[in-house]
Amino acid sequence: MPSQTSTHSPHASYCHVRPSTIALSTLWFASVGAACRVVPFLFAATLLFSSATSAQKFRPDDPIWEDQDRENIPAVGKFTIADYYDFLQNTFFSPGDKTRQRAVNINTLGEVPDSSWFTNRHGKKPLSLEELVRGPDLGGPLFKGNSQVIQNKQSGITPGFRVKDSTGTIYQMEFDPVTNPEMATSAEVICTKIFHAIGYYVAEVYIVTFSRNEIELAKNAQYEDLAGKTRPLTTKDIDQILAKAHVGPDGRYRTIASKFLPGKPVGTYRYYGTRPDDPNDIFPHEHRRELRGLRVFSAWLNHDDSRSINSFDSLISENGRQYIRHYLFDFGSTLGSGTVFAQKPRAGNEYLWEPGPTFKSLFSLGLWVRPWIRVEYPNYPSIGNFEADFFQPEKWKPEYPNPAFDNMTDEDAFWAAKIVMGFNDDQLRAIVKTGQLSDARAEAYLADTIIKRRDKVGRFWLNQVNPLDEFRLEGSTLVFDNAAVRLLKGIPAADSYQVQWHRFDNRKQIQEPAGGKITAKEPRLEIPSTAFEGPSDGVGHYALAEITTQSSHHPSWARPLRVYLRKNDTDVSVVGIERD
Amino acid sequence: MNTLLRAHRIGALQASIPIVVLLASTILSAFTLAQEAPITRQEELRQQREAKSRAVKPYKPGSLEGGTLYVQKHRLLERFAEGWKGFHPVLGGMSTGSGFAGGVRYEKGFADGALSSKTSGAISTRVYQLYDFSFGAPKLLGGKLSLDFYSRYRSSPQEDFFGVGPDSREQDRTNFAQEDSLFDFTLGWNWTRWLTTGARVGYLQTNIGRGTDKRFPSTEDLFSSTDFPELIRQPNYYHADAFLKIDYRDEPLNAHSGGLFELTYRYYDDRKLNLYSFRRLDADLQQFFPFLKKKRVIAFRARTSLADTSTGQSIPFYMMYAESGAAALRGYREFRFRDRNFIVMNLEYRWEAFSGLDMAIFGDVGKVASRRSDIDLKDLESDVGFGFRFNSIKSVFLRIDIGFSQEGVRVFFKFAPAF
Repeated sequence: MPSQTSTHSPHASYCHVRPSTIALSTLWFASVGAACRVVPFLFAATLLFSSATSAQKFRPDDPIWEDQDRENIPAVGKFTIADYYDFLQNTFFSPGDKTRQRAVNINTLGEVPDSSWFTNRHGKKPLSLEELVRGPDLGGPLFKGNSQVIQNKQSGITPGFRVKDSTGTIYQMEFDPVTNPEMATSAEVICTKIFHAIGYYVAEVYIVTFSRNEIELAKNAQYEDLAGKTRPLTTKDIDQILAKAHVGPDGRYRTIASKFLPGKPVGTYRYYGTRPDDPNDIFPHEHRRELRGLRVFSAWLNHDDSRSINSFDSLISENGRQYIRHYLFDFGSTLGSGTVFAQKPRAGNEYLWEPGPTFKSLFSLGLWVRPWIRVEYPNYPSIGNFEADFFQPEKWKPEYPNPAFDNMTDEDAFWAAKIVMGFNDDQLRAIVKTGQLSDARAEAYLADTIIKRRDKVGRFWLNQVNPLDEFRLEGSTLVFDNAAVRLLKGIPAADSYQVQWHRFDNRKQIQEPAGGKITAKEPRLEIPSTAFEGPSDGVGHYALAEITTQSSHHPSWARPLRVYLRKNDTDVSVVGIERD
Repeated sequence: MNTLLRAHRIGALQASIPIVVLLASTILSAFTLAQEAPITRQEELRQQREAKSRAVKPYKPGSLEGGTLYVQKHRLLERFAEGWKGFHPVLGGMSTGSGFAGGVRYEKGFADGALSSKTSGAISTRVYQLYDFSFGAPKLLGGKLSLDFYSRYRSSPQEDFFGVGPDSREQDRTNFAQEDSLFDFTLGWNWTRWLTTGARVGYLQTNIGRGTDKRFPSTEDLFSSTDFPELIRQPNYYHADAFLKIDYRDEPLNAHSGGLFELTYRYYDDRKLNLYSFRRLDADLQQFFPFLKKKRVIAFRARTSLADTSTGQSIPFYMMYAESGAAALRGYREFRFRDRNFIVMNLEYRWEAFSGLDMAIFGDVGKVASRRSDIDLKDLESDVGFGFRFNSIKSVFLRIDIGFSQEGVRVFFKFAPAF
């Protein structure tokens, strides 16, 4: 019976009718019964139709190169992370989403749009040598007369104080450890410039030297002790701070002067989740490409302190709106520097606490020796412990697990490695020179080591995926390049390329072959005329080239790479790139 | 077409009107939805941000995170270490067997740090008490000269005593109460960063009483005052020491390399009874042999104490050093062996389990003797064991040593390194 049909329909709640209110006509019942069967399908069709639009793979404005995450937001609180909790949580638990997935903030070409987190710089368009050397610096401290010390530095482990220059700009000054003159200050400057060139927001830092009589107490200068209590700062306090700093043979102190960041400090960011009070922050941090890829950059430069404590969120007011900008902060523990001592050999090789090596060492009575213990470092006090021979980029570790680093995929690493390889030898030597190391041999060693580590990073990560890139159209031919061959020395070209063309329905995300598989010897693929015969989405027709690269030397190059093309009335463009 | 059929058709048509309206509206709404779906990527992201802006909220940490945040925000650990208005917590510092000890220390500097004073009070779960006061000038003449005055009152209500000599028996365990007051003045001269010599003079007053540990007899119940007259009357001492110290350890409280050699000659003068004056030479040698970048260390320590007396004089049993316990033979109870002379040697192999924990396996040998000539390497007591040393770069803050000997298993919890 129709009524029974409707009653047993999965959508009975929508269709159950009460006979007393409607004429009891058999046909009527038949019509209603039919409608009860049809309406659910109509709703489903409606949803499908709408979702087909919203779920289409490419949008008219793809690929986007700017993530407009600098919209005005209401006032936010300070989002502070407890250091100990951060260590415990990341060491003994597993925060963040561990779903194996592509980064979520990339554009359809697999690149990172500019945002409040990252600005494409050297990786997109090579910076000039002058720009690289200048880094984020807009002009260092200006002292007319003596520097005015306004407060001791209480955060962190490095001795220092805060000074105000003649323009009223505040700088934090930190010193090298007595045992390692020039080490921490040079590492800070060099890595600040490199991370800036990569694309991160960083503070302006300057190497400054002064003698004791060139600094004096400012009026109302404050001393804050470890417990947070304040009292007037005295010249004796300054002398005590300077007593922990290295003083050069000329009687001058060398310090790093970090300019206070613009905006209002609103805490730090985590490497997972989002800030609940920031509407602009919608991408889980553990799935952000630039935070996942930071693992590659950190490995390169031995930035073992790449954790939340060394991030900085600043509420920026700009053009009548305010938004949070996200900074990387404090590069004192990079390269061979451990900030207040030469970096420990463990750094970069093992977490602070790691069960495997701990128990192996414990139960073997120490007979099992961690491999990194045997690494020898040259004796350059101004460098600390930094080397490239033992370094393995894929095995490098920060101080404790980082959820974004853990989620890094080969595609994320490929993105980062390309940027790393974008720094040539001359550029790196010029940046290293800004560290102002007085020992020319140490400077040369440091530059050589950074270059060697760069090559190791590139050699490993560029070869984990199909490294084809630089896709472009020349008439009806898809032309491309091989990043590994282009950026690495001594890598032979691919033996051949195998491509399968598809028509691609953007709305339904369905592909169907357009012809058979084609093998090409050269990095040029003729686009078959049938490839764009799929349905239009109103913007254009789409074709998909699924490419594998054959190389007897690099089996990973055979991992599929998908290139999507869009053809509209005026031209054909590359609209999407995906690497497996 | 009959009337009935026509009526049915008209009726069906009329009845279908609401359905048609429903279907039409459904299709219309479908198109409307389609029209409203995000068209551009930027628009989609904008909508996601707009949706989030309607639900923004301040971050609320969980209880554990909130707790650690509170500790950090209020710098409780720093305050703990830094103290409050000169007051600092004290943990441990009393002899093994005293129970868990805690207290307060007050420190104050004067004359821009040229002078310093410290006073502390601590009590343990077994009512051991220690109160002390010091006042000194630690860095005179550019750090070459140091002067220090130290006074102490100590009450140890249940110190163990098993008798004197290597043949004392475990089953003769007794306990006694000891309280002493000490006043010392020390002058030190730092020749170099690693070489110090100095002298100390002082006054020591000691009282002995019944032990409070009811599990064991009080000492005077088992040992006669004929053998140990100091149980009845105790001397008061004036003492004078001279010392030499060579210290080239990398970190004195968590040494991985270098060594220490300390030699002290002491003279204790019994002015009260004229029965217990004695002289003693103490030597302490420590050497640390690191390998594998200091991740492995062979640590060796040898200590000896050699005492002698003039005719008619003797040494009270409680002034005899013991060669057992947390700092000597770790497989035996504290104070298990006492005599006028002793020698003890410790050998440890230490290895890093991870950066906050060093492990150790150790072996200890030693002996006590009434005559100096018996201090040799024959008939040594021995033990073996293993330990956990929780540390920072600068110091070992918790040490757990488990020693095994023919008298059983001993576990020591100490807030200081073995050596």
